[in-house]
Amino acid sequence: MKRIITLNVNEKEYEVAVAPNRTLAQVLREDLNLLGTKIGCDMGDCGACTVILDDRPVNSCLVLAVQANERKITTIEGVADGPHLHPVQQAFVEHGAIQCGFCSPGMILSAKSLLEKNSKPTEYEIREALSGNLCRCTGYQKIVEAVKAASQTMKK
Amino acid sequence: MKEFAIINTRLPKVDAWAKATGDARYTDDLSMPNMLYGALLQSPLAHARIKSIDISRAKRLPGVKDVITAKEAGLIKYGVSPARYDETVFCDQKVRYIGDEIAAVAAIDLETALEAVSLIEVEYEELPILLDPFEAMKEGVIAIHDEFPNNICAEVHQEFGNVEEAFKECDYIRTDKFVNKKQDGAFIEPQSCIAFYDLNGNLTLTTSTQTVHYVQRTVAMVLGLPVGKVRVTKPCVGGGFGPKASANTIELASSILSMRTGRPVKMTFTREQVFQHSRARHQFWHELTTGVKKDGSLIALKNTCHMDGGAYSSFGIATVYYGGSLLGAPYKLPNMKYDGYRMYTNKPANGAQRGHGGVVARAAWEQQLDVIAEELGMDPLEMRLKNMMKRGDTTCNDFNMSSFGMEECLEAIRDGSGWKKKKGKLPKGKGIGVACGFFVSGAGFPIYRSETFHSTAMIKLSEDGGTINLYTAAADIGQGSDTILTMMAAEAIGVRYEDVRVLSGDTDFGVDLGAYSSRQTLMSGHAVKQAGEDVRDQVLEVLSRNFKIPVEDMDIKKGLIIFKKKKPDFSVLRSTYIKEHRGWVDPPVGDELTFKEAARVAYFEKGVVVGRGSYKPGDLGGKYKGAAVGTSPAYGCSAQVVEVTVDMETGKVTIDDMTDAHDCGFAINPTNIEGQMQGSLSMGVGEALFEEIKFDDKGRVVNPTLGEYRIPTALDMPNVNTIIIESNEPNGPWGAKEVGEGAIMPTIPAILNAIYDATGVRVRELPVTSERLFTLMKEQEKK
Amino acid sequence: MHLLPKFDFYEAYDMGEACKVLAEMKSEGKIIAGGTDIMVNMKKGLLSPKCLISLARIPGLSGIEPTSGGIAIGSNLIVSKLLEFDLIRKKYNLLSKAASVLGSPLIRNRATIGGNIVTARPAADLPPPLMAMGARVVLKSKGKERELALDDFLVGPGQTKIKSTEILVSIIVDEPPPFTGGDYIKLMHRNALEIAIVAVAVQITLDGPDGSIKNARVILSSVAPKAIHAVSAEKVLIGEKPTEKLFKKAAALASTDCTPITDIRGGAQYRCAMVETLTHRALSAALRQIKGK
Ligand SMILES: Cc1cc2nc3c(=O)[nH]c(=O)nc-3n(C[C@H](O)[C@H](O)[C@H](O)COP(=O)(O)OP(=O)(O)OC[C@H]3O[C@@H](n4cnc5c(N)ncnc54)[C@H](O)[C@@H]3O)c2cc1C
Ligand code: FES
Ligand code: FES
Repeated sequence: MKRIITLNVNEKEYEVAVAPNRTLAQVLREDLNLLGTKIGCDMGDCGACTVILDDRPVNSCLVLAVQANERKITTIEGVADGPHLHPVQQAFVEHGAIQCGFCSPGMILSAKSLLEKNSKPTEYEIREALSGNLCRCTGYQKIVEAVKAASQTMKK
Repeated sequence: MKEFAIINTRLPKVDAWAKATGDARYTDDLSMPNMLYGALLQSPLAHARIKSIDISRAKRLPGVKDVITAKEAGLIKYGVSPARYDETVFCDQKVRYIGDEIAAVAAIDLETALEAVSLIEVEYEELPILLDPFEAMKEGVIAIHDEFPNNICAEVHQEFGNVEEAFKECDYIRTDKFVNKKQDGAFIEPQSCIAFYDLNGNLTLTTSTQTVHYVQRTVAMVLGLPVGKVRVTKPCVGGGFGPKASANTIELASSILSMRTGRPVKMTFTREQVFQHSRARHQFWHELTTGVKKDGSLIALKNTCHMDGGAYSSFGIATVYYGGSLLGAPYKLPNMKYDGYRMYTNKPANGAQRGHGGVVARAAWEQQLDVIAEELGMDPLEMRLKNMMKRGDTTCNDFNMSSFGMEECLEAIRDGSGWKKKKGKLPKGKGIGVACGFFVSGAGFPIYRSETFHSTAMIKLSEDGGTINLYTAAADIGQGSDTILTMMAAEAIGVRYEDVRVLSGDTDFGVDLGAYSSRQTLMSGHAVKQAGEDVRDQVLEVLSRNFKIPVEDMDIKKGLIIFKKKKPDFSVLRSTYIKEHRGWVDPPVGDELTFKEAARVAYFEKGVVVGRGSYKPGDLGGKYKGAAVGTSPAYGCSAQVVEVTVDMETGKVTIDDMTDAHDCGFAINPTNIEGQMQGSLSMGVGEALFEEIKFDDKGRVVNPTLGEYRIPTALDMPNVNTIIIESNEPNGPWGAKEVGEGAIMPTIPAILNAIYDATGVRVRELPVTSERLFTLMKEQEKK
Repeated sequence: MHLLPKFDFYEAYDMGEACKVLAEMKSEGKIIAGGTDIMVNMKKGLLSPKCLISLARIPGLSGIEPTSGGIAIGSNLIVSKLLEFDLIRKKYNLLSKAASVLGSPLIRNRATIGGNIVTARPAADLPPPLMAMGARVVLKSKGKERELALDDFLVGPGQTKIKSTEILVSIIVDEPPPFTGGDYIKLMHRNALEIAIVAVAVQITLDGPDGSIKNARVILSSVAPKAIHAVSAEKVLIGEKPTEKLFKKAAALASTDCTPITDIRGGAQYRCAMVETLTHRALSAALRQIKGK
């Protein structure tokens, strides 16, 4: 049976009717058309589906939409401020941290979440914070450089 | 040195903004009105005869629109190389691996489609399973394909020089064996496609592919459609690395389902299906015998290779050649003999993956060279330098080093890593290793025998002159070809980066063989450069007629027309332009005539201003059988130094440092090149330390997840000291050649050599798990 | 995509309600905490409960409460919090050490301590340190509550002493006495997103700053159907002065205490050898901690 739930996504309230067996990733993509959230494995192994749920990045393929009822969600679509990229996004663009881009939404959300808690992370802390987000293209180096650069600009 | 406005800079990628904001669309993000969802029925058995298939219950399920099997799809054979077309869309008589496709369903949603699949009843008669290629070769075992009674899918025998004679002159000869494990591409985006066959009889297939051209041809052939009626297009693709370089079952099945239902049909692999479809790196068993002189000069190499092919050929015919042909180089080696065998087994088919065919051979040989250097009392890096080919050299198998910055690469990593201070001086448990790599810069021949162009490009100016539309069928799968080609177009014409709009990855835009064998920068690049120059010439010629100024006295730079001598009066032209575009936001301003205005003049004269470019490699030499695999207009080369720490009590390897130098000819965009190098190295680290597809005794993949199939995480990769070497390739556009695949070549052997330096143990089987290394260290202790 | 089977979802707002619903469902209802385990199993088709009952909105299940002589950790506390609370990091650092290597940051933000215990994987990361600290679990069902040593609670792969009507509400851990040190070492292929090849948790207590070992717990994980005590190692440690020689002996004994199997992550022989290495390392680290080094 479907439930009516309210999701607060990117500071907008959405009322959706969902069956309990649908994941947050599915509902974001299929019902809210927020297609920036990717599905790479659907099992918690890759992080492509990362969203921020109540201030913590999580694998949205392992969250039921009904569990997110009345909770605050940030997806990649909610990171930029209108046409202005978030410093993390800007740094990803400038530092070549994006190749195929399939991991990028998740990476950016994990990185943003890290920098909000820890504005001066060490390289190890950055790598650890990103360790649930797999990237097959970049070897991570430029991603780490981008996060470092973003932490610099965000401090200013 | 020549100055460039656009190329050779670190411009951000054209698609980076869309990808950073979540706007970028990949196939599974797309949908169409009235779209159906497809699902596959795949074999639960590795080898069995199909006695019967009953689809009646599935068909009756409400919401199911079509169910197809081999009966409906037909039995036209396809594959990668026409020499070995051995697949049909669905299994007919037999299934040959767990995952082999038997039927497909189209239904109103995925849930219904999956339920319908579960209602299809198949009766099987189990057959003996062959999982070991050496078993499969034996006399008297069952044939997986009737046409290949010994299960030998392909064999290659080549000899250049005379190896046996040459061994007689050698002072030192040794033989080593080496084996890797079946790998997976492990791109993060699973394959997905949407097929739509419209009322006019046109099929549009939107798919996550590296090669729209080959998919177009395969789909047209299998569906019996004229090639022109099949359009294949790719949106953003989330990585490919080889396995997405040929047509797959969902592309064919969804096309057939759409033809039959008249509705768009979408199919997407689960991660498990990605592993089952596979088409990634083979498992190779190499036996190498190398002979040298006392002074370290390489004299002869005998290479025997057996490959586990899996159930179908895929790219395997090329792979079995590459397993031999990419050795020898980058060293001067006068004698080389190769015997390669690829066997069918009841496992997912193996195909091409980054560094196609050469990665394991390279790992085996570069480790052996290290052993030889030690036996001869030479520094392994110096021994490599001593044997290195130079620009202009030709290998014994006829590859021409038209540019070759290998010495520079070796010197750069030697100095960049502090090799001399470290080699032989590190404490137990710490080690340093070196290795070299070598790879083609585009295959010299298409996969099917043809005189076809390998790349075409078209550049069309918008009628206001402000936008330059670049049309190419080249595939950006993340490696950044859209960016490189945009930069090249802008450079060739003389306009700004942001003035060029790239439209790519679509068979409607031309012919391009696609993203494989590291070909697009060189080949698509040539076509784009030519098209850009064509546009530039056309615009300048029109100006020349208008202003009565010779073309040679003009140039285009940064979107402005440069008059080398006297600047003509273009005030009439400008005021006309401004009048025509009254109310527009971007009137031309400044003291110089803009390209926009000039292009407008050209438009008035010509109507359409289109630049054209096309490329195919010239005659590349090599007349022997199999010369088509490995000949290339140019060769990339690289060298790496790796430093490791080995936990001597557990065997766990930590990669501390990597120094990598790669000769890419000329860096169109250094940031992209570094990205390719670093990405290649991380795939190499994965293959060296973790990656392995495992099977149970029934032929089932037991680790079809990204949890148990381990690619490196951010905590497993060190930073790489990334050094770009430029050797100015005469056959490349602006001197550019490959970087996408060659960079992986030295990684595994450099790690292995470093592990030896740390532990005194030679590991000849991948991956080097802590357990494998620990066990070997214990065995060594006992000796 | 893997579709989840159909089920009903019930979100309880207090314990009484949760227990009631669970009891009514007979054995067809299942608790969902973080869902990182149960959803994977459901997607793989290994489980398909009729109803999932969520504990997320029940107050008081996600905190850490002081008790006489220790703490009670709410079963619904997410693993990340074990890394964030100063109290855990300082006094119960064995636990935060294990938490720091569980899955990935994304997983840790959903995975709960209760889920990690009830799911009873032989390689789960939190039971070994908890057993090393002598933890007990509190189980509640309609009108009933009982407390069990974690040692006794875990039975085998996926098996515990929990009844289908019971909910794990909290985990009770005593404050480590003075002169106590411990360590948790997990051997992994990669450095994140890993299930242990072998893991060892150790806690030792001395009877004085330079005293003898008063109490010792050595827990081995991923080498038996569940986390186990290295009984003979513990025996040989207790009452002795902590010396390198003793630790070597205990480590060697530990490797005879386990019964690993060969599976996809590692071979039995290797695992035994690693038990010895890790036990020795963990004991040495525990002693260093006591000595404040
Ligand atoms: C990618 C990935 C990586 C992982 N890595 C690790 C790892 O490194 N180490 C590790 O130990 N685990 C790992 N796990 C497994 C899992 O994350 C942990 O076991 C986690 O702690 C489970 O907690 P949960 O809250 O998500 O449990 P759930 O999935 O919600 O529940 C698990 C089981 O416990 C039951 N349950 C939960 N809470 C209660 C309760 N209060 N009372 C009664 N029953 C209850 C549920 O009914 C279910 O049977 C990993 C999982 C994934 C997907
Ligand atoms: S899609 Fe959710 S973790 Fe991979
Ligand atoms: S950029 Fe392709 S997976 Fe990260």
